Amino acid sequence: MDEYAIGVLTSIGLLTFVAASAYLLLIAGELSFGQQAFFGVGAYAAGIATAMFGLPLPLAILAAMLLGGLAAALVGLPALRLRGLYFAMATLAAAEMLRILFELFHWQVQVGGEAVGPDGTQGFRGIRWVFERGVEPLGFLGIVWALLAGVVLLFILVERSRLGTTIRALGEDPELAGALGVDVLRLKLGVVAAAGALAALGGALFAHHNTYIEPRNFDIMLGVHTLAYALIGGLGTVFGPLLGVALDLGLLEGTRVFQGYRMIVFGGLVALLLIWRPRGLLDERMVHWLRTRR
Amino acid sequence: MALIDIFQNTLDGLTAGASYALLGVGFTLIFGVLRRANLSYGPAIMLGAYAATWVSLHTGAGLLVLFLVAVLATVLAGSYVERLCFAPHRRGPAAAAMVASFAIWMQLEELATLLLPRHLYAFPALYEGGALHFGPFSLRVESLLMLLAALAVCFVGWKALYATRFGVAVRAVIDDPRAAELSGISVGAISLRVFALASAIGGLTGFLIVASHEQVTPMLGMWSTLKGMLAMMLGGLGSLPGAVVGGLALGLIEAHSQWYLGPQFRDFIAYFLLFALLAARPPWMNTRSAY
Amino acid sequence: MRRVAFVALLVSQAAFAQKTDARLDCKHTGKDFIYDCVIRLARAGEPLTGAQVTVGADMPSMPMAHQVKPVKAKPTKTLGEYRARLDLEMGGEWAVKLRLSDPVRDQLVLHYEFDERGARPVKRSAKSPRK
Repeated sequence: MDEYAIGVLTSIGLLTFVAASAYLLLIAGELSFGQQAFFGVGAYAAGIATAMFGLPLPLAILAAMLLGGLAAALVGLPALRLRGLYFAMATLAAAEMLRILFELFHWQVQVGGEAVGPDGTQGFRGIRWVFERGVEPLGFLGIVWALLAGVVLLFILVERSRLGTTIRALGEDPELAGALGVDVLRLKLGVVAAAGALAALGGALFAHHNTYIEPRNFDIMLGVHTLAYALIGGLGTVFGPLLGVALDLGLLEGTRVFQGYRMIVFGGLVALLLIWRPRGLLDERMVHWLRTRR
Repeated sequence: MALIDIFQNTLDGLTAGASYALLGVGFTLIFGVLRRANLSYGPAIMLGAYAATWVSLHTGAGLLVLFLVAVLATVLAGSYVERLCFAPHRRGPAAAAMVASFAIWMQLEELATLLLPRHLYAFPALYEGGALHFGPFSLRVESLLMLLAALAVCFVGWKALYATRFGVAVRAVIDDPRAAELSGISVGAISLRVFALASAIGGLTGFLIVASHEQVTPMLGMWSTLKGMLAMMLGGLGSLPGAVVGGLALGLIEAHSQWYLGPQFRDFIAYFLLFALLAARPPWMNTRSAY
Repeated sequence: MRRVAFVALLVSQAAFAQKTDARLDCKHTGKDFIYDCVIRLARAGEPLTGAQVTVGADMPSMPMAHQVKPVKAKPTKTLGEYRARLDLEMGGEWAVKLRLSDPVRDQLVLHYEFDERGARPVKRSAKSPRK
């Protein structure tokens, strides 16, 4: 496969983790401008685990997800009772605080005679665990998509289960859900933590793909873009966020048809699309229609 | 001497705060009337500033012309955003309007960079001359102009809201859109006009900012959006006087934080304050159901 | 046989342990935003010849959003020098990625600021970005 295509597909996979993370919060009824911060937490955690302590990648990914979920829960807990724009602004504030913390984060250890580790705004170089084991871009693409497939499967299972219905009920009408006996706050916290862990998983992979991360990688633009991908792709299914990412990265950027005008085209299309389909392309009605056609 | 520093920082903080207050007022006007946050507000301002810069580069026109260009371009951009992102979603889900406004944010930013591709452009100075000095303190004339502009906008706005029919209609819509509609007020028409008004204020603010700094960068869009939203939320969402207070407070907090702790902590503290306020939800923050 | 493999592993580890030095010299071709770049590679003070170099780029503030088509750099007559034409979507700061294979495997990330003249290396300061 052409190296450009591999690059685009890998990026699509990585961004889908963040978009799916935003999607999860969206179906639970909340807008988050902050998932990029947990993407960053995952990236730093996994990088530290492999580059500074020589841990194997699977372990690093697990650590990243744990830390990501924990960080999200810590941020979510004080903000739990907030809704709508207030919740969104709280996530924005928290994400920016985390990014500034990354800028102030200096921790280096000696590995093979060299200082390795996060160095504030200079970033974190040398995350070469995957690279040093001879994994080629195509192989890494396989790893990313294998994990993504696992996540997608998990989503499908959850959405068909009672838990999935409960989460959507929370999103539709929290008061009603609460009246029906759902522990609204606990469920919301669980969703927040899960979304954080999901974004962190993407971040862990991103760090090893790039071999270098810096705080600027995790700024608001990433978060707002992936949120938009989730909303455009559709809130009816986990394939929605994937579709959203693929449309921008794959179709518009990948084909380079609109070089230099990509955002003008994409932005305009999104705004128009939302008039016609406020809940995205693969919204609940579309998904229902697709399912009942069998 | 520490006291001198405190006073000077307060002065600087109020000046920066004046621009934040203006941005906050623009955001709050739109939010108050439409119950939605307009993520394209900053980018529209940036487009206005870029249009003025383009005119300046190609014609060398005077400041007054550039001011008019900035305001006009911002109003045009704002109206475009209103028609495309907010009018169609008036009765629908609020998230769609916000995301649409984000999409147009991307569009406006790219338009601006197509107009002026480089990362830095010079802009004619608002005032050619030194700063005012009184005793050990200094105040740049540009800063004074910004403060005066903020005061003027507040005064004119207050008069407009409380002494005109338009103002009554706006306040009615802010209070209860459905009741206003039932009373015969066209909420759609009011929304468009408030949007234009907010954009005009934004254009003025953008012009003052780039003329004070004598330069234009592509960061203006994101920066204006962040500061405006912070000011709006610090002062209690949906309250115009609150936006002014919020903006000034933000400026003060930033100036003092930066002096004692450096630029990174300056930003950190502003975000931390917002987060803490949101988490604590004091009654004056007006946490009515909002999108 | 095992001893040979062990020695080979030691040698390859040693090869990994050495870092590649890279320097970028880019000139704006006049077309936005295409740059003609000369890459100078060296290892332990010696110019690195015969390497397969692939050049890509990413924008630090929006990773993965701008997919720059990776190009293979061609060696020039000078030892350790390679030529590549970079087609970036816009000016500004880019993280240029060099992937080396054959005979040496390495991956480097260099930060350069691209404008209408060429590219300058970037030294990141401790200040957070302001307006």
